[in-house]
Amino acid sequence: MADYWQTMVLPMLEGAKMTVLLFFIAILVSIPLGFILTLAAKSRFQPLSWLAQTYIYVMRGTPLLLQLLLICFGLPMLPVIGEYLVLDRFVAACLGFILNYAAYFAEIFRGGLLAIDKGQYEAAQVLGLSKWQTTTRVILPQMFRVALPALSNESVTLIKDTALLYVVAVPELLHFAQTAVNRDFTIVPFFIAGAIYLAMTLVLTVLFKWLEKRFKFE
Amino acid sequence: MKRIFVLFFMLTAVVFALAACSTAEEKTSGTGTDKTTDDNKSTDKEKLIIGIDDKFAPMGFRDDKNEIVGFDIDLARAAAEHMGAEAEFQPIAWKTKEVELISGRIDLIWNGYTITDDRKKQVLFTKPYLENAQAVMTLKDSSIKELKDLAGKEVGLQSQSSAANALNENPIHKEIKTVTEFGDNVLALTDLKTGRVNAVIIDSVVAEYYMTKEPDTFKLLDESLAPEQYGVGVKPGNEALLEKLQAALDKMNEDGTSAEISTKWFGEDKVLK
Repeated sequence: MADYWQTMVLPMLEGAKMTVLLFFIAILVSIPLGFILTLAAKSRFQPLSWLAQTYIYVMRGTPLLLQLLLICFGLPMLPVIGEYLVLDRFVAACLGFILNYAAYFAEIFRGGLLAIDKGQYEAAQVLGLSKWQTTTRVILPQMFRVALPALSNESVTLIKDTALLYVVAVPELLHFAQTAVNRDFTIVPFFIAGAIYLAMTLVLTVLFKWLEKRFKFE
Repeated sequence: MKRIFVLFFMLTAVVFALAACSTAEEKTSGTGTDKTTDDNKSTDKEKLIIGIDDKFAPMGFRDDKNEIVGFDIDLARAAAEHMGAEAEFQPIAWKTKEVELISGRIDLIWNGYTITDDRKKQVLFTKPYLENAQAVMTLKDSSIKELKDLAGKEVGLQSQSSAANALNENPIHKEIKTVTEFGDNVLALTDLKTGRVNAVIIDSVVAEYYMTKEPDTFKLLDESLAPEQYGVGVKPGNEALLEKLQAALDKMNEDGTSAEISTKWFGEDKVLK
């Protein structure tokens, strides 16, 4: 029996490694990218703002699944340049997740900026802070604090969205659960997969709770 | 702010550590996750990337050590050896198999791949190597005894599989109440057990595998839908690879390699000569 559990759980943990790796790469690149997008969308230079807003609209407005399929299979079929665009599957998947999640994070940060009272800017001006100081010392920390719960929400979604990885043939946690289901003809592996996802999201939940406490200010 | 940067820096470090250990893992474990497929045009390269469904027992699936095994896997490995190439198995989502092939990410589709007229328009096929039938599977005590009993019933099948074609070509399909498509065969069979569908259309070779896994639960109707044949799919325009592969398969038929592999998996020589 112990052996059986091992043969079922080990491949899933192997798959969970893909999940975790994708999660970290996507989070680390898409959060800064999302922030840059927020700034671009709020820019006074109209074409840039318009471009950023269109980007956010397109990436939020189409399914992530579709974007993954297009990046992995659509790009190589483009005429002329197509053959240079056969990306490694995992790279293609990372690209899809980063581009998609950056759009969501951009909106979250925008919400954070909107929540900051006008009085904060005025107070900073009265205190004689430069524009740079106002942004980095007054506005950003507050924006970050306001955005934290939404960031936490989105990160948990990201963990679960990694189940989409198999459409571009990167075997992940849920896929190995499915192969076990198909081999042994029992749905027990699905419960195990659920438990592993819960364990991963638990870590995130605790981390964000800690961050919220850390950045609390009255 | 500074703390956020430190945190970010630490996370980046973690990712690099993870990335490093996962690439190292890939080299040693060789589960065939991913290797770049830049020069998929040449036929004489030593790597042959074969797209398979690793949830399709007994043609290709994962054993309890998580290794990819099966009849098609053994056959493909032997054929690659004859061609002086090394077979590399890439598990793919069965729904996207043709896109995988045409976009050049895999060289062959080889996993109980039924030869159909529609597919022939998109893909080059080898000569058929195995006989299959789309069988109708129901619960043992079901009232469905022959094909015409399917009238008014709910039927399940694997999406994008040839089961759908076989069903559509049979006049009975007009009388079936609903056809539900599933991601893989086991989900369809699970629904059959719970009673949400009354019958499942499934490749007979696969059906037999699951009947040995869970004896006394299912039955197969004696009457099956259209008989079919399995072939290997090659990327259109790559006739050279097709010829080379066909020559290897012919040679394996002659020297008894195919018969040996068939006996190992099915207990008899079922390979088409």
